[in-house]
Amino acid sequence: MSFWLTVFRQVGRNIRQTWASQLMTLLTVSLSVLIFAFFYLIYANMLTFGERLGDDLSLIVYLEEEPGPELQQQLTKKITTFDEVEKIRFITRAEAYQRFARQLGPNQDVLNDMPKDFLPPSIEVVPLKNLRSLNQVKLFSAYLSRLPGTLKVQFGQDWVERFYYFTKLLSIIVLLSGTLLILTTIFMVAYTIRLTILGRQAELELLKLVGATNNYIRTPFLLEGLLQGIVGSSLGIISLYALYEWIKLRFSGPGFLNLFEFSFFSPVVSITIICVSILLCTLGSYSTMQKFLRI
Amino acid sequence: MKTTSNSALETMIELIKVSKEYPPDVVALKDLSFSIASGEMFFVIGMSGAGKTTLLRLLCSMEIPSSGLIEISGRPINQLKGSHLAKLRQKIGVAYQDFKLLNDRTTAENVAISMEVSYKKPQIIKKRVRDLLDQLGLADKHDTITGELSRGEQQRVTLARAIANSPTIILVDEPTGNLDAITTEMVMNLLHKCNKAGATIVIATHDDSIYRHTSHRVMELRKGRFHMMTGGIQ
Repeated sequence: MSFWLTVFRQVGRNIRQTWASQLMTLLTVSLSVLIFAFFYLIYANMLTFGERLGDDLSLIVYLEEEPGPELQQQLTKKITTFDEVEKIRFITRAEAYQRFARQLGPNQDVLNDMPKDFLPPSIEVVPLKNLRSLNQVKLFSAYLSRLPGTLKVQFGQDWVERFYYFTKLLSIIVLLSGTLLILTTIFMVAYTIRLTILGRQAELELLKLVGATNNYIRTPFLLEGLLQGIVGSSLGIISLYALYEWIKLRFSGPGFLNLFEFSFFSPVVSITIICVSILLCTLGSYSTMQKFLRI
Repeated sequence: MKTTSNSALETMIELIKVSKEYPPDVVALKDLSFSIASGEMFFVIGMSGAGKTTLLRLLCSMEIPSSGLIEISGRPINQLKGSHLAKLRQKIGVAYQDFKLLNDRTTAENVAISMEVSYKKPQIIKKRVRDLLDQLGLADKHDTITGELSRGEQQRVTLARAIANSPTIILVDEPTGNLDAITTEMVMNLLHKCNKAGATIVIATHDDSIYRHTSHRVMELRKGRFHMMTGGIQ
């Protein structure tokens, strides 16, 4: 009989013998993967959404007076002293008025009685992509507000801050659910394997006496952990995909979900989650063997 | 104290000043030295507590001696580890006094286990199991759970498992303890057959009916010490 055939027979026997605890472990692994993957999916999508928002990020520096060409050069030089920027654009009072009128659209006649220079001149600064963290943008904003002749600097601070803290909270949840995944997979698998080992103590003792090698005795237990990982994590990912499809179908049409494009994991990410779960389960099974299966 | 078998034959088992003590101060075996030749049938006799079972447990490396040297085919067994020890154990078939059967498995599965660890082909295992059960009068118990068998039947299953893998050494502890005269003869015939096929056989027993008229060597132990050796060439 070949080694692997014997090993698979042993695995089948183990699973039959402790099917109830095997099932519990499988469900726990699936649920852990599902919880972790669910939060990670939201987090990943939020990050993508944030990146897209970041692409449109610009700082508006409102000025007291419209700068002349020389002052414009001086200000440009001062701004680029802080850091390289993607774009600097000076907006005159007239341009600001026209832009505002365009934004008002059919209601632009409310501006009829207003003077054409009531809006302050400004500088539109688009920072480089590497300057997109909230702290860096805040520092840049503070620097710009200290420039001479500056009235105020705006970059949608409140909104950006709220979004930043939301993603921060999500990252903590992802971290916590990741820890939960690690703990449950390792401990539950370790516990089940321990039960199997204890339940088969007499047989394992006999196997040693009739000359079974370490590999012959240990491989089925390792394989059991591996199987728990493969089936459990695949079930978790498949459940999440089903949930994702159901939400997409159920909440399609105008609504919250359409504010940003929500997408599922790429195959690479899905396979990585499955592989990590398999590794964790095998680790759980290995640690139990080291403790309870001294040969 | 050392007694050696026919020197023309190759030595299979060798013990030199072997002692086994259990804490706090139980002496199970003391300074035991003897050799068993390859292909020899060897009886170890003595009263309960004489050290027969301990000797067999040392020979199959289930336990290690407190002092002394045990060699199997010229290799010291207490130094063997891992796959070397596993390989050696595959060559030693043991019929334990307490049977060590898996009581939730069938007779056939119990016998097959010693061949499975040597990766024998399933059809060879099947044939060998049927053959052995037939020779031991257990053909109708092939698919019976061993927990449901009588003591005598369980004893024979243990023996079948011990010889199934055609080991070079067979250690048998009280092989006829639960058997009637006819079944005892059946068991002894099988052991003689294995011996003729070349296996070295060590039988620990206090049943004098199986060694009374034997031409093989019989070693008597008393309180863990060598007492006397009879039979064979000395």
